[in-house]
Amino acid sequence: MATETLILPDHPAAAAPLRQKLGRDDWIMRGAVVALGLWLIVTVLLPLWALLSKSFQAADGRFVGLANFQAYFANPALADSIWHSVWVSLLSTVICVLLAFVYAYGLTRTCMPGRGLFRIIAQIPILAPSLLPAISLVYLFGNQGLVKWMLFGASIYGPIGIVMGEVFWTFPHALIIITTALAISDARLYEAAEALRASSHRTFWTVTIPGARYGLISAVFVVFTLVITDFGVPKVIGGKFNVLATDIYKQVVGQQNFQMGAVVGLILLLPAALAFVVDQLMQRRQLALLSARAVPYAPKPDATIDRAMLAICSLIAFAILVILGVSFFASIATFWPYNLTPSFKNFDFDMMDGGGWRSYFNSLLMAGLTALFGTAVIFTGAYLVEKTPRFRAIRGFVQFLALLPLAVPGLVLGLGYIFFFNNPANPLNFIYGTMAILVICTISHFYSVSHLTAVTALKQIDQEFEIVSASLRVPFWRTFMRVTLPVCLPAVLDIAMYLFVNAMTTVSAVVFIYAPHTTLAAIAVLNMDDAGDVAPAAAMAMVVFATAAVTRAVYMLLTQGYLARAQMWRKR
Amino acid sequence: MDSMPTREPYLRIRNLSKKFGAFTALDTVDLDIMPGEFVSFLGPSGCGKTTLLRAISGLDVQTTGSIHQGGRDISTLPVAKRDFGIVFQSYALFPNLTIKDNVAYGLVSTGAPRVEIDKRVKELLELVGLPEQAGKYPAQLSGGQQQRVALARALALSPGLLLLDEPLSALDARVRARLRGEIRDLQQRLKLTTIMVTHDQEEALTMSDRIVVMSHGRIEQVGTPDEIYGRPATAFVADFVGKMNFLEGRILTGKRANVGGAVLDFGEEVPLAEGAAVTVCLRPEDVVVRDIGEHSDNRLAVQVGVMEFIGNHFATTLHASGTNLNFSADFSINAVRDLGISSGATIEVALPPKRLRVFAQQRSATA
Repeated sequence: MATETLILPDHPAAAAPLRQKLGRDDWIMRGAVVALGLWLIVTVLLPLWALLSKSFQAADGRFVGLANFQAYFANPALADSIWHSVWVSLLSTVICVLLAFVYAYGLTRTCMPGRGLFRIIAQIPILAPSLLPAISLVYLFGNQGLVKWMLFGASIYGPIGIVMGEVFWTFPHALIIITTALAISDARLYEAAEALRASSHRTFWTVTIPGARYGLISAVFVVFTLVITDFGVPKVIGGKFNVLATDIYKQVVGQQNFQMGAVVGLILLLPAALAFVVDQLMQRRQLALLSARAVPYAPKPDATIDRAMLAICSLIAFAILVILGVSFFASIATFWPYNLTPSFKNFDFDMMDGGGWRSYFNSLLMAGLTALFGTAVIFTGAYLVEKTPRFRAIRGFVQFLALLPLAVPGLVLGLGYIFFFNNPANPLNFIYGTMAILVICTISHFYSVSHLTAVTALKQIDQEFEIVSASLRVPFWRTFMRVTLPVCLPAVLDIAMYLFVNAMTTVSAVVFIYAPHTTLAAIAVLNMDDAGDVAPAAAMAMVVFATAAVTRAVYMLLTQGYLARAQMWRKR
Repeated sequence: MDSMPTREPYLRIRNLSKKFGAFTALDTVDLDIMPGEFVSFLGPSGCGKTTLLRAISGLDVQTTGSIHQGGRDISTLPVAKRDFGIVFQSYALFPNLTIKDNVAYGLVSTGAPRVEIDKRVKELLELVGLPEQAGKYPAQLSGGQQQRVALARALALSPGLLLLDEPLSALDARVRARLRGEIRDLQQRLKLTTIMVTHDQEEALTMSDRIVVMSHGRIEQVGTPDEIYGRPATAFVADFVGKMNFLEGRILTGKRANVGGAVLDFGEEVPLAEGAAVTVCLRPEDVVVRDIGEHSDNRLAVQVGVMEFIGNHFATTLHASGTNLNFSADFSINAVRDLGISSGATIEVALPPKRLRVFAQQRSATA
């Protein structure tokens, strides 16, 4: 490096590189990228910064260095939570990934009957708040539980309940990742193994597992992060077993100790950030495994394996259905399990704490607005980041901001929002306590996955559309509206769907920033359960589930009906 | 295009360089392209041909140097302010729009009335021979048809310059051969200045008025297809275009060299001192096997080695008796049949002096 700078003055003839003049499109696109960057700075970066600075402050705002961290680790009750969180998350992760691997193997590598049905059943947990499995587990194994004897005297309130609930809730997430990893294997490797007369046992360990290893590692980190940052399950079923996620809630909502909440939030940020980095690395490698010439693997029927897998998958699917079913029956029975007469008394939410039916309609509105504005902002943003010519440094920074929320647990983001927006000195303070802040926070919370979906879709379409348009002197926005958007419509709808379902079911980020007139359904579940109205809580959880499920079903019908016709051009 | 007696180049490229960090993709390129000319940029991948096209189109502006198009300095203009139509290897047709809407895409933005647009689209589709396909979607057409739609779309705004980026590489051999002729024919009818980037020498040789052979970011030679093939200016061009024997030898006199023990005469004097190391280039198809007599220059008795049947000719390896000289030669089927050439036989061949190209051995010294 040093020699290079020394040599430079010897070449006075080296003229400055030419710079291209900016056209109208360049100005508009760059302006929009900068605007998006500012939006993400305000809705993601500054709240996180507020959280960070809060952890170094005393209650009166003085800078106290690491005093809060010292106080945290000096308190054994709090410091224990770290260990609790870690081992419970590890255990849940191991069980969940193992089950998901077996299930995914059944779905992708065998000819067992009913694979379509199994696929649908496995998606159930994603449509419900994480509170739902916890409530069902209380009904099954709690103090008056139906099958309490199955625990042989152990209590469901604590690690056992948390692990069971978390495995249920994270199962679909692990399944999606592992199914993808198993589905993109190369049939030629299996043919080679067969030709070399490798035993099926050896083929499994030398071909199947190595092929799926990045997916497995990725699943481990994703599940671990989900569990350690989840708040719904331990809140309902954790009893006196403290974990980091419930500590934040207790510190902030219970004791109004914001500084300590910020400290716990930062600690929670570590595993999530680590998982984020590992996941990014793994996904890059997984894609590289599949060459363009790979031949997709098609399983052959094998009576023994197919039957064995059918039995195992049925068991898992049955467990999922039982957990959902318990909440369902608990909500429609008059007083389950003593009075099983069907009744809608538990749906009379207006008579309970939690905001009543209004919470549900708030949730619908919030989810609808999130899907609408979130999809518009995220897809347009991804387009700008991908397609703006040159401008590399700024685009790279905006891309980083777009991926940042993936590393931030909802609870931490929500806490950052309190610190940032509830500050009277902040000119944006007026949105605190409104529906707007819930929508903005939820968009930020789920920004990254949606952004990645959009980027993937944009990368798949011809990179030369923009060049051709520019050479035909057509402004970029016209090509965006007429070509890019219609071609990416399936991905756009996927994003809208993802945002809607998550906005309906999420508790973690919004639990800190809702106001009395903006209570949400999932939070109502939490508050009713807290108040001892467990059956109405189950009922509300079922309403949320039903809404998400119906939306999903309508979406599927739409994609098969209308979309199929509107997207005629895809057919040959 | 008006045809003034002193023709100004339509595209004037001066001192063009492009650097990507420490890597030099284009190294001080100068090039003039005349109005109505079809010019191909030919070279292996990484030679800079695509970089040069991207500089001309404004997709990747050069680091230094200037480009003038029709007298206008376009060196730093944004893409939309330049005047060209472009066709890519991928076609880049908008998949959700019909053929008609694809072709009309640029016309609609001009604000022309609907009737005029329809008329122009019809004209363009007839021009490329697809008048019946207007209502279909791109995925319903064959690759060759899609490429022609892309061409019609690029021509819609009557650009002054047509850029073709490997336009035929994605097509199968038969379609490619047919489209070669069609594109060339269209270009000549419209008298449209056209630049094509290709790595396929056959494509460049059959379609172009002139070929620009490039290597390592530099222009190796600019010339008509005949010049490029028959009189390659450098050993690189000789090697890259067509098949070539490279025979190592030493200069004896200005018109003669010792090549592996055989003495070969050249057609032209070579300005090299006696004893200088040279490479003598000879195309396999230039080896003469018929009508060899006492008067034939560079007459050699050779032993026939391997004979490979290629279909329309035989590719053979020959060894000149009593020397270390080995080279390959292509013999027509009827020559092999008439003269009874077979593997192991000894025959007489001649290497016409005019067809030998001589280069001083400095290929490794150029770096």
